[in-house]
Amino acid sequence: MAYKIAVASSDGIEVNEAFGNAARFLIFTVNNETIEPPEERICTVGDESDISSVCKDNTCRGNGSRCNNYTGNAIKVEQIADCRCVVCQKIGFQVQKQLERKAISFFDVSCTVEEALSKIIKYYSRIDKHESLRK
Amino acid sequence: MAKLLDKQRYKCALGAMQTVQAITRAIPILHSGPGCAQKLSDSIGSSGYFSPNIFPCTSINEKDVVFGGAKKLETTIENALKVIDADLYVVLTGCIPEIVGDDTAEVVSHFKDSEKPVIYASTAGFKGNNFKGHEQVIDAVIEQYLEKSDEKEKGLVNIWADVPYQDLFWLGNLRELEKLVAELGLTPNTIFGYERGIENINRIPKAQFNLLVSPWVSVGNMKKMEQKLGIPYLHYPTLPIGAFETSRFLREVGKFAGVDEEKIESIINKHEDYYYYLIERYADMFLETRVMAKQFSVVADAQYALGITKFLVNDLGLVPAKQFITDDTPKAFQKQIREEFENLNYGLKAEVSFETDSYKIHNEIQSHDYHGYPLILGGYYEKEITEKMFGHFLNISWPVQDKVVLDDAYIGYTGGIRLIEDIYSVAVQRWN
Repeated sequence: MAYKIAVASSDGIEVNEAFGNAARFLIFTVNNETIEPPEERICTVGDESDISSVCKDNTCRGNGSRCNNYTGNAIKVEQIADCRCVVCQKIGFQVQKQLERKAISFFDVSCTVEEALSKIIKYYSRIDKHESLRK
Repeated sequence: MAKLLDKQRYKCALGAMQTVQAITRAIPILHSGPGCAQKLSDSIGSSGYFSPNIFPCTSINEKDVVFGGAKKLETTIENALKVIDADLYVVLTGCIPEIVGDDTAEVVSHFKDSEKPVIYASTAGFKGNNFKGHEQVIDAVIEQYLEKSDEKEKGLVNIWADVPYQDLFWLGNLRELEKLVAELGLTPNTIFGYERGIENINRIPKAQFNLLVSPWVSVGNMKKMEQKLGIPYLHYPTLPIGAFETSRFLREVGKFAGVDEEKIESIINKHEDYYYYLIERYADMFLETRVMAKQFSVVADAQYALGITKFLVNDLGLVPAKQFITDDTPKAFQKQIREEFENLNYGLKAEVSFETDSYKIHNEIQSHDYHGYPLILGGYYEKEITEKMFGHFLNISWPVQDKVVLDDAYIGYTGGIRLIEDIYSVAVQRWN
């Protein structure tokens, strides 16, 4: 079964961007363990003042922990919602929660894109085939 | 078909965190998923200077499965050393890091020059239960911490018994064993509980011999110490409960340690006089409590199943029905333990079953004719079924919901009396 992996990388070599800062994601499609050339997906970042209708009064925005209704990252999460996982250098707690709701895994790592992809694909291929992760 | 195991009486090997916790000022560092410590901790008797809720844990997640958790383990140990004031840090690995192959030994080796000792034990759940985990922790202490000593302290005896916290009476039992050994004029050394700890661990290599009181748990540890530290050991498989077994215990330990026979006998006489004085005073109760069961079953780990069976037969003259050993005893020890059950006074033999599945145990108990009220000594799981059979129930083994034990013990002469009190307290309540 084919699936997609979103990678936050500015140069396509290193995983070097935080989820919130990434202006684009490289979307790799993995089909039978082969990786297709990536699609570049430019993100439209939401306006910070754009608080959704549920959260009109803006009172929950204290000490850096915003509620789920802050649409800036919610839009981004929506834009990569077709992916199985996201790979980025860092990821905030709220985004993690938003991704979990959509059953999207996230890996905050500092390594090359190649290394990240090979490890993740190996992992997914084993769990998809119900094989042990034992080395 | 997958095998179902109903109500097992042990935890996974990571349950050995309780063994570490029983060593005062030693702390486990868990390399496991979040929640392991929570699930494995007993809700009573495990708070204190360190308790499971504050055990440092790497809380590994999916990312660590894919990319490895070694780095996280390293920082967790580093920070534990900074913020937790302990004497000994024991890294315990759970299932996940062992499956994906984190090299815990390598990470821990980075801390060999740290001010406080850091050791590790492999306690993945798939390697066995917490009885095995307990052995792994002691093995880790022997292999990674202790060094052979040329200096020996005459009369110093290291005492080892069953698994702390898994054994409800562990603290009281150890102290009682210490008292008995001290009466023989020897110096007891244990590493668990109040006012014991790293100092006692340091004394281990100086001992004259190791004394192991357990049917099978820690036999491997004794062999390891014999090999590495050159300490011989005496393996006494039966938990000495009551006069008959305790006197035998004192004779055997005394003989092994080279204590004067007359001295041993005078100690035994003193204790037995008082023991039988109590029994005599209550002889009418023993003879006339007609509701008392004639037959009994013990459902417990090997040490209590064996110890209590011997006590009830040899001291109280009850007849054994089938006994159940629930600790998943390794096959290599089963024959030897079975033979112990056949070595009872009055030519009696007890049938014993090594069974971990409570469903089967309960079926067997229900289908047996106890010739009256059954007496069942076991875990809390046996309460309901004993009530159904209108029997007498006493909670002596894990899980424990029916009893609070702070430092009570069933070992020794006094322990035997305590057990009689507990059993007859249950029996006499039938008239209330």
